[in-house]
Amino acid sequence: MISCTDFIAAYSELFEFLEKRGGEKAVNDFWNYLSDHYLAKTLKRLVKKHGIRGCWLYWKQTLNEEAADFTMELDEAAGIFRITMHRCPSKWHLLKWRHIKPYPEYCLHCDHLYRRILEPMGYRYHLDLTESGRARCSLVVTRKSIKDKG
Amino acid sequence: MKKLIMRRKASDNVYLHRDFHNALNIGLGYVEKRFGANAVAEYLRRFAKSFYAPLSRQMRRRGLGALKKHLQRVYALEKGAIRISCSRDELRFKVKYCPAVRHIRKMGFEVSPLFIETERAVYGAICEGTPFAHELVRYDPTTGKSVQRFCRRQNKTLFATKTHK
Repeated sequence: MISCTDFIAAYSELFEFLEKRGGEKAVNDFWNYLSDHYLAKTLKRLVKKHGIRGCWLYWKQTLNEEAADFTMELDEAAGIFRITMHRCPSKWHLLKWRHIKPYPEYCLHCDHLYRRILEPMGYRYHLDLTESGRARCSLVVTRKSIKDKG
Repeated sequence: MKKLIMRRKASDNVYLHRDFHNALNIGLGYVEKRFGANAVAEYLRRFAKSFYAPLSRQMRRRGLGALKKHLQRVYALEKGAIRISCSRDELRFKVKYCPAVRHIRKMGFEVSPLFIETERAVYGAICEGTPFAHELVRYDPTTGKSVQRFCRRQNKTLFATKTHK
């Protein structure tokens, strides 16, 4: 069994493997596949049921289970959900494990997977990865107004 | 309408996100669909060879004791029931159920028929270049219950890993 604590390394290696086999397209196709087969049953259901608070509920569970160092904010009235990741556990592990070479575009999966769920549901999704080399990033999800949607 | 803030440090929680098992399971399904069953084993072998290289090194230096320690750590973390018997030349372990398989089923997902490779291909790869061979003696795909054996190879040649379905 691969322990879930070793998963990040397996995930990174999977991206590497897919890119070698089928190029960047195979990696992107996989992210779409994972989003459709996994997040559609988790994040999408929560957002469908609770609106933007679904984001809070989804990430509250995952980030706590991943022992992330983060600040999470929700303003339901304004339709804003924000995560400030002070130390991403996945990227931190990848940087810490000196004996493996992480997939260079590892962090992009976060941009791809969640955007695919949230944008069609009427939300803007902005992920800032400029500090991802230090295992930091920030995410803002905002509800589009009726005017924006038009 | 609520305004909520949550601040957590890494030390506030234990690192154990079991849903990663689902993501791996879906990943195996994707690789099989796109590149075939052999690609699943090849991917897992490549991962294990690279990520568990320190464990393989320890097995070359210290023998099966290093593997025993690894298995105890992993199953304790995942709260899986395991029985290990270990001598200088053989390690045998029985898993009552695989915590990964159990979690995937609990979440309502179908387990990939190739999930068996997370045992067979992974431990096979860990044994490569060591004096030991891996044998998956029994495996129940419904629960992940298994009996596995690692034994010292009979001659100096490094055989391919022996496995049973």
